Amino acid sequence: MLVSIKWLGRHVDLEGLKPEQICEDLTLSTCEVEGLEPFAPHMASVRVGEVLSREPHPDADKLSLCQVAVGEEEPLQIVCGAPNVDAGQKVAVAVVGTRLPGDFKIKKSKIRGVESRGMICSVRELELGDEHDGIWVLPPDAQVGTSVAEALDMEDWVIEIDNKSLTHRPDLWGVRGLAAELGAIYDRPLKPLDLTLPEVGADPAFDVRIETPACSRYMGLVLDNVQGGPSPAWMRHLLLAAGQRPIDGLVDLSNFVMLDLGQPNHVFDLAEVPGGIVVREASEACKFTTLDGEERALQAGDMLVCSAEQPVALAGIMGGLDSRVGETGSRRLLEVATFHPATVRRTSSRLGLRTDSSARFEKHLDPTLPSKALAHFAHLLTQWQPDVRLPAAISDCGDWTDPAMEIELSGDHVRRALGVDLTDDAIRSILERLGLGCTEGEGTWTVAIPSARATKDLTIAQDLVEEVGRIHRYGNVPEAALIADVVPPPVDARRNLVRRVQDRLAGSGQMHEVLSYSFQSDDLLETLGWTTEPHVEVINPVAAGMSRVRRAVLPSLLGLLAEGRRQSGDLRLFEVGKAYVPNPDAEDGQPTERHELALAWAKPAAAADAAFDDSRLLHLRGALQDLFAHLEIEAPTWTLDDQPPSWAHPARALVARLGDSGPPLARLADLHPEVAVALGLEGELACDVAVAEVSLDQALGAPQEASGYRPIPRFPGVKLDVAVLTAEETHAGDVQALIEKAGKGLVRDLELFDLYRGESLGEGRKSLAYHLQLQSDKRTLSDKDCAKFLDRLERGLGESGAELRRS
Amino acid sequence: MTDLEQILSEARAKVAAATQAESLRAVDREYLGKEGVVAGLLAAIPTLEPSERRAAGQGANEVKTAVLEAIEERKSALAREALSAQLSGEGFDPTLPGAAQRRGSLHPITQVTRELEDLFTSMGYSVLDGPEVELDHYNFEALNIPVDHPARDSQDTFFCDPEGHLVMRTHTSPVQVRAMEQLEPPFRAVAPGKVFRQETTDASHEHTFHQMEGLVVGKDISVGHLIGAMKTLLRGIFGRDLDVRLRPGYFPFVEPGFELDARCPFCEKGCSVCKRTTWIELLPCGLVHPNVLRMGGIDPDEWSGFAFGLGLSRLVMLRYGIDDVRHLLGGDLRFLEQF
Repeated sequence: MLVSIKWLGRHVDLEGLKPEQICEDLTLSTCEVEGLEPFAPHMASVRVGEVLSREPHPDADKLSLCQVAVGEEEPLQIVCGAPNVDAGQKVAVAVVGTRLPGDFKIKKSKIRGVESRGMICSVRELELGDEHDGIWVLPPDAQVGTSVAEALDMEDWVIEIDNKSLTHRPDLWGVRGLAAELGAIYDRPLKPLDLTLPEVGADPAFDVRIETPACSRYMGLVLDNVQGGPSPAWMRHLLLAAGQRPIDGLVDLSNFVMLDLGQPNHVFDLAEVPGGIVVREASEACKFTTLDGEERALQAGDMLVCSAEQPVALAGIMGGLDSRVGETGSRRLLEVATFHPATVRRTSSRLGLRTDSSARFEKHLDPTLPSKALAHFAHLLTQWQPDVRLPAAISDCGDWTDPAMEIELSGDHVRRALGVDLTDDAIRSILERLGLGCTEGEGTWTVAIPSARATKDLTIAQDLVEEVGRIHRYGNVPEAALIADVVPPPVDARRNLVRRVQDRLAGSGQMHEVLSYSFQSDDLLETLGWTTEPHVEVINPVAAGMSRVRRAVLPSLLGLLAEGRRQSGDLRLFEVGKAYVPNPDAEDGQPTERHELALAWAKPAAAADAAFDDSRLLHLRGALQDLFAHLEIEAPTWTLDDQPPSWAHPARALVARLGDSGPPLARLADLHPEVAVALGLEGELACDVAVAEVSLDQALGAPQEASGYRPIPRFPGVKLDVAVLTAEETHAGDVQALIEKAGKGLVRDLELFDLYRGESLGEGRKSLAYHLQLQSDKRTLSDKDCAKFLDRLERGLGESGAELRRS
Repeated sequence: MTDLEQILSEARAKVAAATQAESLRAVDREYLGKEGVVAGLLAAIPTLEPSERRAAGQGANEVKTAVLEAIEERKSALAREALSAQLSGEGFDPTLPGAAQRRGSLHPITQVTRELEDLFTSMGYSVLDGPEVELDHYNFEALNIPVDHPARDSQDTFFCDPEGHLVMRTHTSPVQVRAMEQLEPPFRAVAPGKVFRQETTDASHEHTFHQMEGLVVGKDISVGHLIGAMKTLLRGIFGRDLDVRLRPGYFPFVEPGFELDARCPFCEKGCSVCKRTTWIELLPCGLVHPNVLRMGGIDPDEWSGFAFGLGLSRLVMLRYGIDDVRHLLGGDLRFLEQF
């Protein structure tokens, strides 16, 4: 909202206050000031000139050659194209060197061979209105040579206020309300404004009927003998400063009253409302063209101002195209009403039609304000057009009550809540400066809340605490320490778990943590074959195809792989985040929240002769095993995943469970080759990708297995390697079990270091080679122990169809 | 000087003059060789008077030992010199880089969130969590923002159903009422997390960002306490005291409500971060509205409290000088690797 300081000055004396000071004080006591700009700064350099003579241009029919006095020794010769320029006029002259809006710099020039030293300006060229059918003729008393700004008293500053910071203050949506606020801040009285209703003629009041509870008051005033033409210059300048384009006299006046008092109003041509006024709700969907020319689709319940069954305005929002104030008749109807905030808001939000009027109504306007605004309008109109007549009694109907009320307040409450040491007198004085009268009383008062503040803003004692605090200034509140028995907050197991996960993976895991959006695109999910899964969806996404809220974190990482691979040959990412799965059974409708860890590791495939375990799948499995050990949770059981997700390689997918049949703790798989290609991992980005997801909910509930201390062996152990030849189908885990069995508790540090297949072994055979150590806590082992172990192993393997390879 | 002394002195001089293993060996041969000086001395003994022989033999042996010692000493000195010369001859480029260490990283939002969590837990705050997909009740209704309240406009809500029953939470404030339902007053809590606004993204606007809510409920909590707590918070974040100012701000769930500005930590006279005002708008806060306390089942006549909402994403951007908010959730490795 733009507010002119000159306009504020009509209501409160701001003498001696710099614009910057006013902004600072408003910021600290009232609302958020977003900017301060001089009004029409170019007008300071446009000068008042007097046209001394006008002659036709020797070489052009439509141009005139003017000698213009601008307060210098010699008059300036200026070529002017306006038909209305004439000798004796006072005009606005932009001399050579002046900059006009649009970064238009006036230069000395030759026009059709004749020198021109400046420009005589039209209103539009000065951005002071739309008129451009001729130059701007200034009042005859304007002093030649002074700036037009000074001569016409246009020097002004414009404050920009953030509307959001006024959401709760309907009274500040008018300049007078803001002026009252400044009056409270500076302890200066508001200037009087005559708001008594005008004398009116004896005709019966205009017929108004209210048929909806959403209109609590409707006032109508018939205006006769109204003339067309522009509004007074002072009003136009104030409107311009407030960012309003002057349009025509009556519209300008209507806007002026709205901005001045914060009360929207509307002027109808009386001929357009022949059947009287009916305010009602639309009973069914219909079309209505607003005065901006847009056809609006209305719904039952939208509030309309109608005449003879035809809607003439969308109540509180905008008039209709057909009821626009015409230039023809001289009889008008002024509407000043109070409309229900939520009704206006619903319609204007739905139509996307926010107007100065709807913005005010939705803040909950004071129902006593219409009579004041009506009187203000009438006073201003009759001052401007003394011949205007008010022939009929004022229509005033509606079921409204004065919202003025009282609130009990104690000085102790204020002091306690603010933490300041203000006296009772100081508190009462602040309230009274704000127009909040207090009854006499010892420490406790009844505070009278006037209607302008009572509709929504001031309803409870805490609201009054704020009034005192902001005028006293929060900067004057001393800082206080919170004192309470501080006990350590309860241990937050989930947060601890998440931290340990993040630290391990970003640390020894050498992975980068990602935080990504909770929305996943349809494109991505289609690529993964996941769109059939039910998702929570927003109905108003930022872009089409971005409505799904993730039900798993992992796809977010998959979407990053191709770009990440461009940056790195060894890409390791993880994310800890939340996922949501619709839960139709939930009583409150809330989806099930899942806490998940997702991991992805992409790297070009290892060379053919690389170590058997140089695959992403086994590396990522190693990282997960390390993580679970680090978290001290019981080692899970890994099996082939018989229900692999759509993005997983169907045969290279594992699931880890706590116990044999518990819910999955983790899923781990190679990315399905087709999915990898669809994600863009082909050509030079082709790579080996393993991905995993871990349920942190499961991890949190997993049985703990503390990694205790194991004594350092007192006796030397024996290190040896064994190689086992076995059938392809035999699992390494089975061989490992046989080795451990043969060791009778002596096998330590068993490590598979080679997995070999080759012609020499025969078709369908493989060799598994292990490092291990035999170690006893009771004695030093001998070669004999070693030989016995190998014999037992050989027998055990033999019984299982495998054999010990003797080198 | 006797002859022997003369011989020894000359031998020592020659040893000292030897600068290489080869010349030292020559001295060795000259004195200790089969036909060397010492051998000559020993060979001359039989020609002496018997009474002189014993002394001459002793003298010759002493010379032999002394020369041998001198040579050995010189030999190790030469070896040391040679090694030293060899080592210092090994030129090394002091600008060669260290071998690359692969490392991972924690997201900057994680890092700053942890710092704040640690700061708050050290002051007795609990860290709470709340759902991202939230009920209208907690996101608006219980926060004193009923349907049709104009304050809903500024929230740019993502709705998850046509009735508006479920929304993507527009702030972390819903955790306020959840906390009140969960904890017995007095208590202090913070709740970091993701929030969502339906708006077009650009370098300074995101539809998804991070906030941290704070809530203190106790007896006679005042604006003064709020100011004190916020100053402590800023000291924790910026590592020094920053001036703060409270100015009125409107949020339906607090009364009175404020915007807290801090003196720009990056300049003294105005810069692009503070838009040349020397103040940066840091966080909205206020005393908890009695209606909100009631919604959380807390008697506002007995208890009061303050609440604040810290823009974590904004803080992270301030801390690291990040110029585009979209980097935070964009997952670009070139961004992540820097932290």
